[in-house]
Amino acid sequence: MIAELGHFALILAFVTSIVVSIVPLVGVALGNTKMMQLAVPATVVMTGGVLIAFAALVWAFVTSDFSVALVTSHSHSAKPLIYKISGTWGNHEGSLLLWIVILVSFAAILTVSGTAMPMVLKTRTLAIQGIVSAAFLAFSLFTSNPFARLSPAPLDGNGLNPVLQDPGLALHPPTLYVGYVGLSMAFSFAVAGLLDGKIDRAWAIYVRPWITAAWCALTIGIALGSWWAYYELGWGGWWFWDPVENASLMPWLVATALIHSVSVVAARGIFKSWTVLLAILAFSLSLVGTFIVRSGLLTSVHSFASDPARGAFILGILLFAIGIPLALFAWRGPQLINDGDYQPVSRETGLLVNNFLLTAATIVVLIGTFYPLGLEMVSGARITVGPPYFDATFNPIMGVLVLAMAFGPVMAWRRGTLPALRFVASGAIMATLVAVLAGLALFTGISLAGLSGIGMIAWLSGGILADIFHRVKHAGKGRIGERRAVQMPVWGMWCAHLGMVVFLLGALGNGLFATETVVRAKPGDVIDLAGKEITFAGVEARQGPNYVTSTAMLELRRDGQFLARLEPENRLYTAQRQTTTEAAIRPRLTGDDYAVLGDGDARKGYTLRLYHKPLVSWIWAGAGLMALGGLLAAVGRARIPHHSAELDTWT
Amino acid sequence: MIGRTNNQSKRAGPKLSFILPLVGFLILAGFAAAALFATLSGSRNPAQLPSVLISKPAPATPAPMLDNAAATLDLATFAGRPLLVNFFASWCAPCQAEAPALALLSETLPVIGVAYKDKPADTQAFLNQYGNPFSAIGVDRDGRLGLAWGVYGVPESYLIGADSKILLRHAGPIDRRVLDEVLIPAIRDAQ
Repeated sequence: MIAELGHFALILAFVTSIVVSIVPLVGVALGNTKMMQLAVPATVVMTGGVLIAFAALVWAFVTSDFSVALVTSHSHSAKPLIYKISGTWGNHEGSLLLWIVILVSFAAILTVSGTAMPMVLKTRTLAIQGIVSAAFLAFSLFTSNPFARLSPAPLDGNGLNPVLQDPGLALHPPTLYVGYVGLSMAFSFAVAGLLDGKIDRAWAIYVRPWITAAWCALTIGIALGSWWAYYELGWGGWWFWDPVENASLMPWLVATALIHSVSVVAARGIFKSWTVLLAILAFSLSLVGTFIVRSGLLTSVHSFASDPARGAFILGILLFAIGIPLALFAWRGPQLINDGDYQPVSRETGLLVNNFLLTAATIVVLIGTFYPLGLEMVSGARITVGPPYFDATFNPIMGVLVLAMAFGPVMAWRRGTLPALRFVASGAIMATLVAVLAGLALFTGISLAGLSGIGMIAWLSGGILADIFHRVKHAGKGRIGERRAVQMPVWGMWCAHLGMVVFLLGALGNGLFATETVVRAKPGDVIDLAGKEITFAGVEARQGPNYVTSTAMLELRRDGQFLARLEPENRLYTAQRQTTTEAAIRPRLTGDDYAVLGDGDARKGYTLRLYHKPLVSWIWAGAGLMALGGLLAAVGRARIPHHSAELDTWT
Repeated sequence: MIGRTNNQSKRAGPKLSFILPLVGFLILAGFAAAALFATLSGSRNPAQLPSVLISKPAPATPAPMLDNAAATLDLATFAGRPLLVNFFASWCAPCQAEAPALALLSETLPVIGVAYKDKPADTQAFLNQYGNPFSAIGVDRDGRLGLAWGVYGVPESYLIGADSKILLRHAGPIDRRVLDEVLIPAIRDAQ
């Protein structure tokens, strides 16, 4: 009964979404206010329908209603409640419904929050969001109905993929989806702006909170996914250049460019066509991300849900949702050009460099992800380009970006630099010199790559800290360009940029100074790991709630002093005869000790993989700081009236 | 300050650049559509690649061994019977997929692995996790060996005849179908 109610609510939402897509746009064309006003209540009804459907599906999972086919194939009565709930979106149909929940919720928030917006812009934005919702609701109803019944209902379910039975993964998809789908708002604003033929500073100020929110969620979502891969896949790595990871990185790179370019539109009213294009591309890449995961077009360690038949539908949505806006852009975009009066040395140029580098990085990732597919089309070969390609192409671009990041914020709008430039430059240079000398002194035989990494991080952090120091010291002292106290968005920018420093420290520490040993050990053996001793006591079998394990018992000591017990295990999930590897991790701020149990037996010995990973947790802490920075900037701007464009000049 | 739409200059010059995103997208979409429909119709499958090296002797570029960096991988040791040379890497997802097929194949003929652009420790971890079907493993850290053989990427395999000449090249993972329909017949012919 509940499932039928959910199904009905979903159909209702679909029908309403068609109303949202058509009537308000016709209203705008005819100048009919009544029809335009329909966008708001219709969006609310559509959202209500989707929320009821989602609640019904969660209910079916929580109560283990095995007459619903989806529950049977993805849940099990013996599963802990939290994984019954997260199981709702741990599968194709449910995750699609979650995606739609977020999509319509964003539209619903706009109906409430966008009171100051011009009527036409708001109506068109809601209608575009409605069109996207209609497409995905159709996808859900016609190809991936989550409420399909199973008769007769089995006694118990087939469980959830055990790799997905994990707190990190319970949170990762919803957060990532908020990011992906949040970019749909930027997209809808961009298309509405193109239809208006009018993009101005006000447009940028209205759309910016959505972009910032989506970017923050995307940052957190990607970090959660990387953290999950780090501790769950048992590989000790945090980024694999896997197609699914790339699919989330590409929208992030474009959204990062978008955050910077939209600030130029907000402050100066230029870079408009470019910003619109970025907004369309950011969401397009989110859709492509979904497409990659759902269709199984690309081989990936993460592809748990793939079905080429559904790919055809998604491809249709893609052609429609990307092709038409890009055609609109080709037609209307040239009208948005206006000549900005800015000099080669200016904040505008700095942001142009930022956008250029981030776009280049996106293209590099795009090529690395799709080149194998293109090659396969041409030659039939099915291959992988892996980390070697990305190390050689992506990393240098990011290196230049990091060098430029130190100076971007001390450029002035239109022309010249802020008085802080000289101070910031000396800060960056001094920090680099000190760090390189310290690197040479402390780490004998350090590689050139390591040394330049250290230098680069010092350069960026020296530049940012000098900028903070200078601006805080001179704030409110009446010097030109530095009159006011430092505003919260500026603190947000610094926080996000420092997040980059922290992230790079983690990536560098883990990339250059990690220790790794693979041994075949017998009970009683003592293994050295980065100045610590690990005693292997043996392997025992244990019983979990829905799995059995073989657990290795390891004791970590330094100079004979006991530090921690590490118990990596291999689990056998009895319901679906699947095994997973659970790494044992001792996380510390200075670095993680990480142990994985391989195969073996008591006679031959067991394979143990032991790592020491310096600073690895800084990778995710850095991502957290970036997201916090975005949040500070958004909150800071929200506290200032919308029409106060003065804020955006920052100088 | 808001709404400065009036000073937009409408120029004819750069319009072409506004069409570029659409053109680029349509090309990508064309590829994706072709791939998708080929997958749907069942015709998209890994196939052998032509290679200029077919019926030529296998390249003799030296590479250190994984288990003993001082020793050099020498295919001549295996001369006199067919063998398979498999380029793989720990960072390559399809390489995990072909592990069972390679294990099966290693019962019929020697399988030589070449760890392509991979750290030896990573390679070792990969072998521990997915099994080691290889009679010998060469380390190709900088991809020089791959260059000599003309590999596109990993995984990629070469079937070598008893006369040490390359018989067949297969790009992509070896699955059960490739094993039964391509490799086993080719090995039978070679013997």
